[in-house]
Amino acid sequence: MTDQRTLAYINMYAVLGTLENLCELDEKAKEIISTIEKPISVAFDVKNGPSATLTFSKNGCRMDDGVNANCDIKIPVASCEKFNGIIDGKVTPIPTKGITKVNFLLKTFTALTDRLTEVMRPSAEALEDPDFFRLNTLCTFYTVSVAISQIGNQDAIGQFSASNIVDGDIQIGIADTVYATIRVKDNHLITIKQASDKPRAIMEFNTLELANALFAGTVNSIDHVGNGNIIIRGLISMVDNVNRILDRVALYLA
Amino acid sequence: MSKFPTFDTTKSRAMFEQATKVIPGGIYGHLGPAEGQWIPVNRWPSFAEKAQGSYFWDVDGNKYIDYMCAYGPNVLGYNDPDVDAAALAQLKLGNCTTAPGKVMVECAETLVDTVACADWAFFCKNGSDTTTLATMAARAHTHKKKIIFLKYYYHGDFPWAQKIDYPGITPEDVANNIICPWFDLDALQKAYDDNNGDIAGLIAQPYDHGNFKDNEVASKEYWQAVRKWCDDHGVVLIIDDVRAGFRLDLAGSDHFYGFKADLICFCKALANGYNMSALCGGEHMKATVSGITYTGSYWMSSVPFAACIACINKMKALDTPTMFRRLGKMVTDGFKAAGAEHGFDLRVSGEPALFYLRIANDDNLMLHQEWVAECVNRGLFITSHHNHFINASLTEEDIKKSIEIAEDAFSVVAKNHPELRG
Repeated sequence: MTDQRTLAYINMYAVLGTLENLCELDEKAKEIISTIEKPISVAFDVKNGPSATLTFSKNGCRMDDGVNANCDIKIPVASCEKFNGIIDGKVTPIPTKGITKVNFLLKTFTALTDRLTEVMRPSAEALEDPDFFRLNTLCTFYTVSVAISQIGNQDAIGQFSASNIVDGDIQIGIADTVYATIRVKDNHLITIKQASDKPRAIMEFNTLELANALFAGTVNSIDHVGNGNIIIRGLISMVDNVNRILDRVALYLA
Repeated sequence: MSKFPTFDTTKSRAMFEQATKVIPGGIYGHLGPAEGQWIPVNRWPSFAEKAQGSYFWDVDGNKYIDYMCAYGPNVLGYNDPDVDAAALAQLKLGNCTTAPGKVMVECAETLVDTVACADWAFFCKNGSDTTTLATMAARAHTHKKKIIFLKYYYHGDFPWAQKIDYPGITPEDVANNIICPWFDLDALQKAYDDNNGDIAGLIAQPYDHGNFKDNEVASKEYWQAVRKWCDDHGVVLIIDDVRAGFRLDLAGSDHFYGFKADLICFCKALANGYNMSALCGGEHMKATVSGITYTGSYWMSSVPFAACIACINKMKALDTPTMFRRLGKMVTDGFKAAGAEHGFDLRVSGEPALFYLRIANDDNLMLHQEWVAECVNRGLFITSHHNHFINASLTEEDIKKSIEIAEDAFSVVAKNHPELRG
């Protein structure tokens, strides 16, 4: 069972949040934002749900928590269900502020989210291109990393897992490629998209291919701990509980 | 320069790979790499070739002094001649038969004569079988639903004993579980009140020997207060003595802590590796258990009963609990001193017979995992996450060698971490 509110948090911070990484890693996304003349910000404000502001410039994209009062475009959304509908393309967002800048939404923002969908839900053929495979894996890594925190904070079963995690940093990563930190304080999880200075636990996948297969759900992490392709160290109970949350990520991102 | 050479585990790795082709996870559960915390995996043996006394040999021919004792069942030493002789003699008479062997009655009588709270014994195969029966009995006896668990519990892997976030577990599987902290009587009362008194039982290990954490022993006063609370509220008190049973006290760990459980679960140390478990209890629970539908194809096999009788008699003759306490103290004192020589603060917790170890120089167990890997890869089999076990064949010479390996491993870790010298 999935929960619409948790899904809304995932859609906001994990899915839309990956636009930050897409704009940094993907040449096509860079091309799309290259047309932006001056920074423009879009805020989503979901009633009884998440709110965040995305700021785009020709140099990249940044997501900040909450609605920036000076945002250029504000999109209030009546419910988590409606917001999830927007992400699914079934509901049309209606801005209440920045009507004159709606062109950005219709063109640039839509082009970026279309590109994100292309990267995150690729065809089997597309994944045969090594560069695209890498892009897909890295973007998925960031999405999954952030989704872990959202599920740990919002989903009822995820909250149970989070309740068993002691304070500290859990570093997850793909060896020599990309890292993220799940920072836990009083059973609340925050994802930081970089390695930890002082992790209390580490889970590292040894290849992009393995990470991709794990995210796609075609292999199991326990098997790969056994053959040494996933390295775990430190307070393994932290890794164990993150893995239980990770198990629910696929449920929400499927 | 390390005094003990590290082991080559090439064949272990190859055999593990072979296993993964036909066995999910290669080695599943507590003996496997994930739950068993093989960190890193290439320093660990995968499969054993043979075992004797306090030792086992892996498929590469490496010899290990074993402080995990198959996670408990090895209580007298692998291949104990007295237990094996009794088992073999029974095997020639019959094992899995339509009418249970008469040795089943003798085994039950042995348990009743040994375990202080036992007026009867019900036999199964694994610890989970007995904890499950115990919770069913509590419900059948009280006609109530909920069971109180104490935090960091482990009562087996049946769905009711797992947690809501484990793969394959539904919220309904664990809907009647209430988790309370250890050593907190107010929490028990609150749980009772919050659930309108619908509490059938309280299941707990005799002390907090949870994994990944320092173990906390209980006091007699604590258990006597819990016993009184259960009596006052009509709650069946179940002691899960699967792990600690017969290692602290042959009369049961409840006896060790000065109280009487209503039901007590045994498995690991019952028959020195022959597969059986037993739920024992007071007369007042016998009729209830008689009425429960519960059986298994091999639960009344005779060979383990014969082994159990021989094992219990030998444990009595050797006074193994006293021996284990002394040996456990000797091992851990030696490890602590060896660690201190190299600047390591090795913390020892839990009962000496089931000692738990943790290097406390860091806050993330990484130094401890490194040390454990260096120990294991030199022939001292310990773990980084779980309490350890002593067996009766362990000699002072074995302990001396164990401490030497531990010291050697500390020296290696110290060398790899010059920052620890300050």
